[in-house]
Parts: sequence; structure tokens; C-alpha cells
Amino acid sequence: MAAPVLERVTTGPGRRARRRPGARRRDHLTGWLLIAPALAYFVVFLLYPALSALYYSFTDWNLRTEASWVGLANYADLLFDDVKYPHFWKSVSVTLQYTLVAVPLTLVSALAQALLLNAIRRGANLFRLLLFLPVVTAEAAVGAIWRWLYDPQYGLINTLLGLVGIPGQNWLNTPELVIPALAFIAAWQCGISMIIYLAGLKGIPGSIQEAAIIDGAGPWQRFWRVTFPMLRPTTFYLLVTGVIAALQVFGLVYVIFSGNGRSVTGGPEQSGLTYVLHLYLFAFRYDAMGAACAMSFILLVFIMIVTALQFRFVKQEAA
Amino acid sequence: MRKASIYVALVLLAAVSVVPFLWMLATSLKHGPDIYTKVPNLLPLDKRTGEWAATLDNYAYVLDVGGLGDAFVNSVWVCAILVPAKLLIDALAAYAFARIPFPGRDKLFVIMLGGMMVPAITLLVPRIHVTQSLGMFDSGWGLIVPNIASVLDIFLLRQFFLSLPGELEEAALIDGAGRMQIFWRIVLPLSKPVLAVVTITSFLFHWNDLVWPLLVTNDPELYTLPLALQQLVASPDGGRAYYIMAGATLAVLPVIGVLLVFQRRILQGIAFTGLKS
Amino acid sequence: MSRGLVRGAVVAALVSGLAACGGGGTGGQSGGKELTFWMYQDRTPQAGQVMEKVREDFEKANPGVTVKLVKIPKDDYNTKLGSAVASKSAPDAGILDQPLVSKYALDGTIKEVPAGLIQEADYYKGALDTNRAGGKLYGLPQDQTTVALFYNKKLVPNPPKTWDELKQVAAQVHAADANVAGMNVPKGDGYGAWMFPGIVHGAGGEMVDDAGKKVLFDQPPAVEALQLWVDLQKSSPRKITDSDKPFENGLAAMTISGPWDVPTIREQFPDLDFGVAPLPYKTEPAGNIGGEDSVVFSTSKNPDLAWKWLAFLSDAANNGAVADAFGGFPVHLKAQVVAGGPEQAAFLEQLKVAHARPAVPQWIQVNDEIIAPAIESALTGKATAQQALSDAAAKTRSLLGWNG
Repeated sequence: MAAPVLERVTTGPGRRARRRPGARRRDHLTGWLLIAPALAYFVVFLLYPALSALYYSFTDWNLRTEASWVGLANYADLLFDDVKYPHFWKSVSVTLQYTLVAVPLTLVSALAQALLLNAIRRGANLFRLLLFLPVVTAEAAVGAIWRWLYDPQYGLINTLLGLVGIPGQNWLNTPELVIPALAFIAAWQCGISMIIYLAGLKGIPGSIQEAAIIDGAGPWQRFWRVTFPMLRPTTFYLLVTGVIAALQVFGLVYVIFSGNGRSVTGGPEQSGLTYVLHLYLFAFRYDAMGAACAMSFILLVFIMIVTALQFRFVKQEAA
Repeated sequence: MRKASIYVALVLLAAVSVVPFLWMLATSLKHGPDIYTKVPNLLPLDKRTGEWAATLDNYAYVLDVGGLGDAFVNSVWVCAILVPAKLLIDALAAYAFARIPFPGRDKLFVIMLGGMMVPAITLLVPRIHVTQSLGMFDSGWGLIVPNIASVLDIFLLRQFFLSLPGELEEAALIDGAGRMQIFWRIVLPLSKPVLAVVTITSFLFHWNDLVWPLLVTNDPELYTLPLALQQLVASPDGGRAYYIMAGATLAVLPVIGVLLVFQRRILQGIAFTGLKS
Repeated sequence: MSRGLVRGAVVAALVSGLAACGGGGTGGQSGGKELTFWMYQDRTPQAGQVMEKVREDFEKANPGVTVKLVKIPKDDYNTKLGSAVASKSAPDAGILDQPLVSKYALDGTIKEVPAGLIQEADYYKGALDTNRAGGKLYGLPQDQTTVALFYNKKLVPNPPKTWDELKQVAAQVHAADANVAGMNVPKGDGYGAWMFPGIVHGAGGEMVDDAGKKVLFDQPPAVEALQLWVDLQKSSPRKITDSDKPFENGLAAMTISGPWDVPTIREQFPDLDFGVAPLPYKTEPAGNIGGEDSVVFSTSKNPDLAWKWLAFLSDAANNGAVADAFGGFPVHLKAQVVAGGPEQAAFLEQLKVAHARPAVPQWIQVNDEIIAPAIESALTGKATAQQALSDAAAKTRSLLGWNG
């Protein structure tokens, strides 16, 4: 009863031959028509802006006067001139560390929540809503509450640590603790990943789980042998987009470290100065749009390499 | 026994999730002097006496003085047009990328994915140039058209379409059904969970988006909710937290509504797959 | 026939499309002149009413003119203004952050104040100076403000006047209760670096000599100023002062802040008994000047009218109310100061000795990227005050291409 759903039927040549003649040409037309609106958007609002940003990355441009061509100077200065850009490499290392901590933490937290939710029926709606609240709560509230939770004097986290005898920390003001603290907030706001995982879990036919139960697999084995492999496309999607988003993290640091006269320069000793915050400062605070554009293309190349590696890794796994 | 431990875990996680929300709600109901206590009050209590002291004045203020009502209406219509239109455009493209073979398809897809990786911040200024030369600057169109598709959503939808069993579609093709018929009658109904996810995330994003409306509008009559909120309350003297939170609570309510509606869609999706197996 | 109709429709569509292209944002209407003025969002509804009244008065005095006030959240103002200038949709006139005036002036984004628009002698010199670049005047101030010393009256009965007294009082407070910090010492971040010049002036020094292109913040006054912060930190552990609102909660006996904080503290911490005094100094009373400047953009179609509007806002009759609406004090010597609380006197006294910040176009970058980290490395003990500032000065010289 369950078999057909399991196998992904590939389109064999024999079957295709039975379609009416001209179908392929019509397919070409339909294909282009269907992507036409998205393609138009892409060209006008993504490709063209991206190409002009690429042009600006070879110029000295302060947004006000005409951009003047400087060739590769922005790129060279960013990478090698630590007087002009003293925190460029710092921002690279902050961002890498953040990505390495935050993405796995977010995925594990999202998957755990989704699995728990998927295991119950009564109250599932309510819990799903509650677990999703961190995503919809206003950023200002999120920033305020986490600054309180991490407060060195009367924050809840230090209070709890105190109960088990661990001395309290000055979380957001100790350079070494800033990244773990930020990653923890990211994992707490994993609602969207959780919902996507949940959709993935719902897509696993109950029959497969039943078959595994009949085969005598325990819950742990079922997770590793059935659930997790079936979730591979979902995990892959979340991993790729999660890494891309983490490498571009901005809103979170902005909320935690700025506003109300606080510093915009990225936390204690620039320990929260992420790549895009650094880019933002040059684009809109120091009026160096040319350099900011160059930064974004360095990041773009980096993201592409990382993503390509992820795709290759997955292909090898699948093969 | 196992069920019980699952519920315990969920209750703990939910508690952590709910605290900031409760704090937001409580702050929005507080009188000025009560908002700042050494340890945050999750209830609107009088700071000195500890007695219940809730007020709706903050809500009256943000709705009345702040023009939050108009902005609310703007946000509603922007999202009402933008979210479905975007979903349709993205789903059509994703379907073509997943299922319809045409020359150059996969290369094009990779190029579009590349576009997704350019940090949005650098694209802002050139995008405003484009919006302006299209005559959409400072207009309702400027809020909608420059956001009308999303490569990320196309990627997500395509992944999902690829994971659907192809045999139903194959059978329909052989029976002479057109691609569009298959898309409407077979693919979309099978994709309810992912459509719900995309709708929720895109609604959330546009409902809360501050930067684009800020840059593309000058006319206060076009202000969307986040912009009006920012306008009203993030004042130079540090803002009045109780107004911010009242406005923020008003902004969150529709989101919760949308969430509740689409949760049911996700459940319907399950019902569908359940039927099949 | 029908082909003609179609062609007509196409032409009409093209024309309307083109018209829309040209329109872009600040289209005037109905023959009269429209002036667009960008400003920060209103601090209070009352401030909004003040601006509304001034606008009506101006329109009455200039028939046929409409002034459109566009109010923008302060945190996002510079981002929005930058992209508006980049896409040629800047307003006729607007508020401009003090450190941006010299930048915008040097590349011709804003206009020079026309001769004879105002009598310079009518304005506070410090406030007017924030509008100068290369010796020329590029804008009119609308309000001025400054920071001063806030002190908790229970912990500090008499506010310190000198650096020595300040250190002494801070040490006494912390010695009496180890859970209370003497002072909420500024940190090595953008905000702390922003406060720093006022302290340097208090030791008779300067950050830079912008006319002579010399960096001066590695000289003794600046080093002593930084050493003061380092010394103060001994009686003000960060573990205490990094908590939320330490001064308001009674955990720090003193802090540095501006008039904007007074109503907020009064409202949210009615039990806190605090006073405001001028900043302690070493050799001469001094402080920083802040506030709002206003400029006319080069792309304005009605620059004369725009200047008239800016002069109107800052004249003797209006500036008292306007400055108060903006959250500061008048810049016109004859304007009436809107009466405030008892702490007002301290701010006004401080303003008399307040200095404008360096008019160097890259100053924000120097402030954030070079001076702030230098301050932090001294405060965290990674370098001495002298080492940190010498290093920062060398970097600044290299960045600005200065020799001195």
C-alpha cells in the first residue's frame, strides 16, 4: 500500500515517447513563460543593481559626487591596508566564528523542537504558536529582553548560574563571550527553521515509519535510519540558507549593540563587529560606498565558494 | 511516560519563548514610572505598591496621536497584494525550474542563486536608482514591485517540487493534460505545507520590513506600520518603551492571526499525504 | 481610425511614464512654490505642534509658499539622506548632523550661506562654528546642547569641580559600598570617543588643529584626559557599570549625559534624587557642543527661499521655541530660553565653554575606528594611555595624510 510513494519515479524515455509530438517545443515556451516574471524581477531588481554595485566597487564613491575609477584599489586596501581598514579581518573572523557556532546550534534547536511537536497531537497547535513567538516579537523587545537576560548585575542567566555555583559573567561586554551569546539568541529565534523542519517531517509518509517499527527499530534507530535521511533535502536547504544568512548577519548585532546612545561600532573590542555591520558602517556612516561595494563582492565570492562546497559535499554523500 | 517527558520539554521551551512576548505585552500595559524595575515585571504592576495597575492609555496614544491606524491600513494592503503575487510568481518559476525541461534552465537557476548571495545592503542604493527611473519612487508601487519575487522562495519551492513523486504528473501528461493544468490541479494541492511556509515567512518579512519603506517613501501617507512605529516612538531621548511595546503588540497581532490560519493549512497538507498512504 | 487611437494611447502612456520618471518624489504643485524640509521626528507631540505653528507663520509671511516637513527617525536619518542624495532626490533643505557638514560642504553637496543672510554676531559662536568648513559658513545651527555631570545626591552631596575632586569622590563612594561604582566611566566605543574631546579641552588641549593639519591627541592634555578615565575605572568596576542604567538604579554615583536624559529619568525613576553640574576640569572649564545644524542642498530649486526658511527658524523670535522642540537650547543670542528645571543652569553654564568638534571630513571614521579602540585598549590595560594615543595618532596621520 505504501510502495508507490516511496520511489521517486524518473521520467524514462519510453514513457516520454508516448506524448504527442511538439510537446517538447511547447515545453520550452511554457518554461520560459513561467519564469518570465521572476526573470524580469531578477534582471531589473537584482542583476542590474548587483552589476552597478560591482562597478562601484572599482570606484571611490561617497554617494554624493560622481564615482571616480580606482581599479582594484578598494579590494587591495581592504585586504592589505590595516590603517585604512583596521577592522576588516577582525570582522571576517567574527563572522566566521559566529557562523560556525550559530548555524549548527540553530539547526539542532529547530529540529529538536520540530521532532517534539511532531510527536504530539494534543496541544500541538498551541505549542507551535508559542515556540514561534520569538520570531514575531518586535526586535526592540527581543533586544531589550536579551540585554536584561545577559545583564551582569540582575540578569536571569547569571542568577541561574549562581544557583549551580558558577560565577556570573559580564556576557555582552566580555569579548570572548559575545559570539556564544549572540549565537544563543539566534538559536532561540529558530522558529522559521522549525516550521520548515515540521513541514519536512509531515512530508515523511507514516507508512515508512510503520515499516521501520514492524522491522523492530527503536525510536533512536528510526530517527537516524529513516527520519534524518528523509529530512536531508530540508536540512540541506536550511544549512545552505542558514550559512548564507549567518555570513550576512546584521539585524541581531545591530539590535543588541546599538540604539539609545549605545555604540554602533560592534561591541567590546569589536568582538561583535560582523562583516555586514562593518560593511554598513562604511556604506552609510563613513560614506565609503565604493569600499562597501567591494566588501560585498568579497563576501559574495566567499559565499559562493562555501555554497559550492556544500553542494559538492551533498552530491558525494548522495552518490 | 515518553509522552509526558515530551510535554515537559515543550513546556520548558515554550516558557523561554514566551517570556519576551509577555514582557512586551506587560510593558505596553504599564504606566510610565512602572516600566523600569531592577528585575523585569512580567505583569503590569505598580512599582511601589506591587498592585495590579494596567492601563490602555498607551494604545490609545499610539493609535490616536501616531497615525498608526493609517499605517496599519497601508501595511495591510501592501501585504495583501505583495504576498500572494509574489507567491504566484515564485511558484510558477519554481515549477518550471523543477519540472519543465527547457534549454539553459539549470544555468539560469544557478545564476539566480548567485544573485541571492549579494548582501542586500549593497543593493539598496542601486535599487533605489532603478525604482526611481521606473517612476515608482515615493509611491505604493515602489513598496510592492521591487519586492515582487524572491530567489530564496523560488529555491525553497523548487526543492519541494523536486521531492514530489513525479508519477502523477507523468500520468497526467500522458493523458494529455497541459503543464498549467498539472500545476494548478496536482502540484499546488500537494504543496500546501511548503506554500504555507513561504507565505508565512514572506508575510513576516514584509510586514516587519523597515529599511525599504524607509528609503523609498517620503510621503507620510505611504508609511507602513514599522515605519510609523519607528517614527512615533524611537525618539532621540531614548524612546518611551511603553509606547514602543504598545505599537509592537498591535503589529504582532495580525502576524499571529496569519500564523493560526496557515497552521491549519500545514495540517491539511498532512491530512492529504495521510490519505495517500 | 483604430490604429490612430492605438498610437495616441501609446504616446499618452509614454508621456505619462516619462512624466512619472521626472516626478520622483519632490514634485511641486499648483503654481505656488513648495519647499521640502527634512528633519528628525518630533520628540514629543508638543514639539510637533511648535513646528506646525512656525510653518504656518512662515507660509503666512510668504504667500504662495508651502513648506513640507518630512520627519524621519533619527537613527535612520543619515542612511536615508545618503541614499536620497545619491539618487538625486535630496530635499531643498534639511537638518544635517554636525560632523557631516564639512564633508558635504567640501564636495559641493550643500550651498554656502549667502552673504548678508544673518548677522553672525547674533549667534553663539560655538554653535555657528559647527557649520564651518575651510573657514566658510555652510549652514545655520538650530539648537545647541552639551553633556554635563549627573550626580546622585545621596551618594555625592557636593559635585566635584576638578579632576582631583572627581577621582576622590569616586574612590570614596566605591570604598563605602563595594557594590556601587564611583562613576559610569565612558567606554572605548563610538560614544565614548565622542565624549572624549570635551575632557581633553578641560585640560587645555585640542584633538587636532584642522587648519594646520596637525594631530594633537597624543599630546599631554589628551593623555592626561585618558589617564583620568583609566584612574576612575579603579573605583568603577565594569561588572557594575555594564548593567542596564547603572546611574538610574543607584549603582553608579555619577555619569555623563545630556539634557535629553533629564525628563526620561524623572519619569521612569521618580525616586532618584539627582543633580546636574558642569563637567569637572583640570585647568579650564570646558565641554563638547552638540545640536542640530541645517543646510540647503545644491539640488534645491528654491535655494533663496530655503535659506529664508532656515533663517526664520533660527531668528530671535522663533529660535527659543524651535530649539526647545529640537531638544536643545537656542543658538540665537536674543532668543528666549524656554524655562526648564533646576538642572538647566548647569547645561547653560557648560554651553558657554563648549567647543565644536574637529571639522575634518573623515572625523566620524577616525572617531569610531581609531580613537575608540585606542581608548578601549587603555581602559582594559592592554596599553598605557600614552602608548594607545601615540599609536592612534600615527594611524590618524597616515589615514588623513597629515604630517604634524
